Amino acid sequence: MDHITICRCEEVTLEDIKNTAKKYQCSAREIKLRTRAGMGYCGGRTCRPAVDAVMEQVTGEKPGHDIPLKVQPPVRPVSLATLRGMQDDK
Amino acid sequence: MTNNRRIVDHPVLGKLSDRKEITFTYDGQTYTGYEGDTIASALLANGVRTLRVHEESGKPRGIYCNIGHCFECRVTVNNETGVRACLTEIKDQMVVESGRVLPSPLASTEHDTLPRTYAEFVKQQEEEKGEV
Ligand code: FES
Repeated sequence: MDHITICRCEEVTLEDIKNTAKKYQCSAREIKLRTRAGMGYCGGRTCRPAVDAVMEQVTGEKPGHDIPLKVQPPVRPVSLATLRGMQDDK
Repeated sequence: MTNNRRIVDHPVLGKLSDRKEITFTYDGQTYTGYEGDTIASALLANGVRTLRVHEESGKPRGIYCNIGHCFECRVTVNNETGVRACLTEIKDQMVVESGRVLPSPLASTEHDTLPRTYAEFVKQQEEEKGEV
């Protein structure tokens, strides 16, 4: 169970997150910085709810507390070529 | 053998035999798909489930969400990288390539003794402490 991958982009397991959260009793954002969960290609959109759920379980920290996982545009990865308008946008 | 993982007749989607066949290549091998397929569905019907490997660890990846959310299925299409196989319609003569392991700045010359993640780093440090 603990070997379940939570963040697939950066290959962070449930075990990694739990251990780090237990050890440092830190915020979800600190977990992200320490383990890289949510820092990968998809922009953390896939594992963010899972990371928040683990944090709630381990440290009791609810999503949307003082130092939450950041959400910011763009809402999906875009290539620089797209931003430059050199490609049909998808 | 190819394309035998398909629904041949469906009350809504119709008959498979009515659909136009197209050819495409995936990692240099030629496959057959049908018009309206996504890259992912065409490959799945051909029994191909691994669309890429993790850039650093080389572990296999395929369809995960299948709705364009997670980018786990990204492939290279006609030299364009980062294309989602689950959302992109397959076109005749498309050249699809899987994602490979990339050269990594963390790849160790000391027979992989360097940690790959922070969690591994902490573990390693603790092990070292334990040994002393
Ligand atoms: S499988 Fe998730 S984006 Fe294609």
